[in-house]
Amino acid sequence: MEEKTKRAIRAGVILAFIVVVIGLLIYSRIVAYSMAPQSKPVDLRPLPLWEIPIVYLIDYFSHGTICLLFAFTVAGLIYEFVPKEAITKYMGSSKAVGYGLALAMAPFLTVCSCTMVPLFGGVLYAGAGIGPAITFFLMAPASNILTILLTGEMISWEVAGVRIIASAATALAAGIILSKTPWGKAVEKEYQIANAASAKVEIVKPPLDERLWAALKFAGYLAKQILPFFILGLIVVSYVEAFLPEDIVGTYLTGFAGILIASVLGGPLYTPTLVEVVLGKAMWDLGMSKGALLSWLMGQPYDVANAMAVSRIVKWKVVVTYFIIAWAGSVTFGLLYGMLSGSL
Amino acid sequence: MKEVKVEVIGPDPPCRRCQAAKWAAEKAAEKLKQAGIMVNIEKANIMSKETIQKYGVLVSPAIAINGTVKIMGRVPSPVEVEKLIMEVVK
Repeated sequence: MEEKTKRAIRAGVILAFIVVVIGLLIYSRIVAYSMAPQSKPVDLRPLPLWEIPIVYLIDYFSHGTICLLFAFTVAGLIYEFVPKEAITKYMGSSKAVGYGLALAMAPFLTVCSCTMVPLFGGVLYAGAGIGPAITFFLMAPASNILTILLTGEMISWEVAGVRIIASAATALAAGIILSKTPWGKAVEKEYQIANAASAKVEIVKPPLDERLWAALKFAGYLAKQILPFFILGLIVVSYVEAFLPEDIVGTYLTGFAGILIASVLGGPLYTPTLVEVVLGKAMWDLGMSKGALLSWLMGQPYDVANAMAVSRIVKWKVVVTYFIIAWAGSVTFGLLYGMLSGSL
Repeated sequence: MKEVKVEVIGPDPPCRRCQAAKWAAEKAAEKLKQAGIMVNIEKANIMSKETIQKYGVLVSPAIAINGTVKIMGRVPSPVEVEKLIMEVVK
């Protein structure tokens, strides 16, 4: 067979697979099939201890597999096909463009933590400075494509949308405020390189079938990185769902105090990627208010692991400042959303 | 004997995808050695000032051949790296 035909067939097979995955998700939408586990605390409580996570995991994966498959596939595709060289070229050009790109591109480029810290450093060094770098760094974990898809499918698209807007506003505020502080400016001065090169980059594009395959391979890589922690997280969530009494959630995770508690828990308490969505969903089922739910979800960017990674590059004063701003943003938007949606 | 410099650019400590990219470069180098091309593989830190001064902001893993970034943000196959090096040498 000719090389060309072979490539076309290979690309066709992979494309068919992608269409099936997208089709499955659309179909499940049409028949209103829920992507979230259906177990209620009442069903889980009477089970023996060892059986709770098993029942919950089976329940989760029988519902959530399509969503996970879709999320990983789409993340892989976007990551592969987004024109990375165009973005990195402009990220250093001016402040405004830097902020815009940081907000717009963070969701797509950062499903893998191994690209996030280098990009943060790159943006900081190469011209756009501390502001866009911080914006990028806060925006990335708060609303990467995997998180948003899962929030939308499991909790609701309203919450997912609000999460994007609130995270973007907070990230932007943190970037702008930090770039005005003396310690932010000091970092910028220390790292700025006068004329970072953007030349000498000639990206070679492989043929379509190889790119598609690379996208799926990247999706598989992401799944391998994330799923083990995700499953561990789900086991914890199953016990939370079964044993956390509703009246405790009702008392402590509603109202203004609920938002404060949720925002504090959501940050330093490090939940692996995506688990915060499932755990949030479980607590929401148990009676957490929508406002507190948003605060909880927005806690992701200022968790300890992220802070540790970034503190290797910038001074602790910068880390503390963005910690405080991110936390304040989480509380403010939690309150606002709680009031507007009538669920405080 | 022709010499080619291949830089594998990634964060330090290397992430798994950057190690995979380096592995592909090493495989390609082995094969090209038989064809009489010396490939010097170097690791460049994506976060260092030198790298950014030279190449700008990159998405890891990236591979530069003789000072030109050819691959960015993906893991190539050994055959692909081999082809790219051959093109540069020609």
